[in-house]
Amino acid sequence: MTATQTDISTGEVAAEQRVTEEELARRARQKELTSRWFWRILSYVVVLAVWEFALLDIFSWLRGNPLDPKLLPGPSEVLATFGEIWGEGTMPAAFQATLTRIAVGFGLSFLIGAMVGILMQSKWFEGFFKDAVLISLSAPGLIWVLITAIIFGNRPIGPTIAIILTTFALVTVNVSEGIRALPKDLLDMAKSFKVSLYKRNRQIVIPHLAPYLFTGLRFGFSIAWKVTVLTEVFSSSEGIGFEMRISAVLFDMSEFLTWILAFFFFALFLEKVVLEAIERRYFRWRQAVVAS
Amino acid sequence: MTTTETPRRNDVSASTAMSSAPNPLAVAVRIVKSPHFARLLFPVFLFAVWHITLAAVEQVWPFAVDVLPTPGEVGAFMWDEFITDTLARKNLYETFYISLRRLMSGFAIAMVLGTALGLAMGLSRATNAFCHDWTMAILAMPALAWALFNSIIFGFDDRGPILTVILAGIPFVIVNVREGVRNTPRELFDMARSFKVPQSRIIRHVLVPSLLPFMFAAARYCFSIGWKGLVIAEVFGGQDGAGWTIKFWYDAHRAHGVVGYAAFFVIFAILFERLVFEPISRRAFRWRPQLQTEVVEEAFTENQDLQDQERPVR
Repeated sequence: MTATQTDISTGEVAAEQRVTEEELARRARQKELTSRWFWRILSYVVVLAVWEFALLDIFSWLRGNPLDPKLLPGPSEVLATFGEIWGEGTMPAAFQATLTRIAVGFGLSFLIGAMVGILMQSKWFEGFFKDAVLISLSAPGLIWVLITAIIFGNRPIGPTIAIILTTFALVTVNVSEGIRALPKDLLDMAKSFKVSLYKRNRQIVIPHLAPYLFTGLRFGFSIAWKVTVLTEVFSSSEGIGFEMRISAVLFDMSEFLTWILAFFFFALFLEKVVLEAIERRYFRWRQAVVAS
Repeated sequence: MTTTETPRRNDVSASTAMSSAPNPLAVAVRIVKSPHFARLLFPVFLFAVWHITLAAVEQVWPFAVDVLPTPGEVGAFMWDEFITDTLARKNLYETFYISLRRLMSGFAIAMVLGTALGLAMGLSRATNAFCHDWTMAILAMPALAWALFNSIIFGFDDRGPILTVILAGIPFVIVNVREGVRNTPRELFDMARSFKVPQSRIIRHVLVPSLLPFMFAAARYCFSIGWKGLVIAEVFGGQDGAGWTIKFWYDAHRAHGVVGYAAFFVIFAILFERLVFEPISRRAFRWRPQLQTEVVEEAFTENQDLQDQERPVR
């Protein structure tokens, strides 16, 4: 509504008054921002308060019988447990184990997914890989985790294969989406000027695909870390998933919540802050990245 | 020989029919080059890789072969399950019926609650600011965490898995419905109001049609994510259901059981997509020239804050 007011004012009102209009608009925006932050902060306070004081009763009501308070620790207790575990010094090792697994598994998955996506430029390979992509997208990650766990046991190759099978299709889908949006005129021109296949790929296809690859990377990572934690629950003796399973088996809920929340925040940080910052930096030259 | 149609299968009868055609070699080349042939080649290729892997493993570690399932074993297992001859406590149909019932309860609750919240968030800035971060947090949480948590809270009954389905699916509904509300054409509302169209008809003819594709995307995602969450929840907090049964074969250390059941999972998901969502989508969007759903996937937060600022929120 502020926008329409300024529109009307620009035509007829004198310059001094326009300044006040702009000032008004600025103030309105300021107010809007304040209100947004007010609600945002209020939501944190409310949710944490509900968790600390009321969640136990809510779950007891849902269960139909009272819940042991030990099974649902509040945020303050989780924070205290975090301090304890951090003091023990086991956390960095567990993080490292999980992150290594993600890096190896998802790195390979990304390469395979991108290669399959590029192969799917040709109709023949599109037909060939269609069902593989469909299955990978629609099947629950749990089945790959269980199959690889039963076949490979505790060997590190099992989780790697499970991660690849769950995430490669996300990369493939993004890459083939990018390929569908390739600048055909450029490619046709390059072809008619007899530019070599390698050069065509290197100088037209890859720069065009880069943002799509990046979207695939971010989507894939958000799935990959979840699958990795799941594989560790079944077939591993270290890492976040393993610690989660141990604490769940021991009914130590505050430890359980500490592990999952710690890794959750870490993964969110990687996903939303680090990867997005890299994306912004790397694609600064683009006006607007239109990657689905 | 017609040149326009490529035969879908190069089975024996087709190839014998073709031998009388002028140039059998060209025809064969064309068949091999067709995408349909490639699609059919994929399972063949998969089985070949499977056999070769088995043979190779037998050479290197003869003792490991006991663990590895052969295609024949898996096929036999799936057939036994199919004709309800099973060692598990419940047969295939009962198992999937139980899981489907849980999935549907969770799905329905998630759709109703999510639509209400999404509408509220699309219509009011304060609600949006209040719920946005928590929706994102629930969305990014792995289903495994919900599954383990709910199994500890609720023990072994229906409520844990159902709550997992709700928690896994609801953020997709919220976000899609909110996008849908934001994308409703404002001019149509203004025009309807200035022509004094009654409120009920505005809702029926303006809001619902523009919301429908988003609702549909929401349902699709909620369903598939809910299904993935449900099986994990059943593994940890169930006494029956599809997730429990695959865990049963896993604990019994029957690799062919695990692989066979996994195949049922895939078949279930694909059948549902083909038999339920695709026909509905075709029917509901027949009036559209093409489907333009901006499906909101995992990482839809890009430029979210930007949109919050730029888009007028009604």
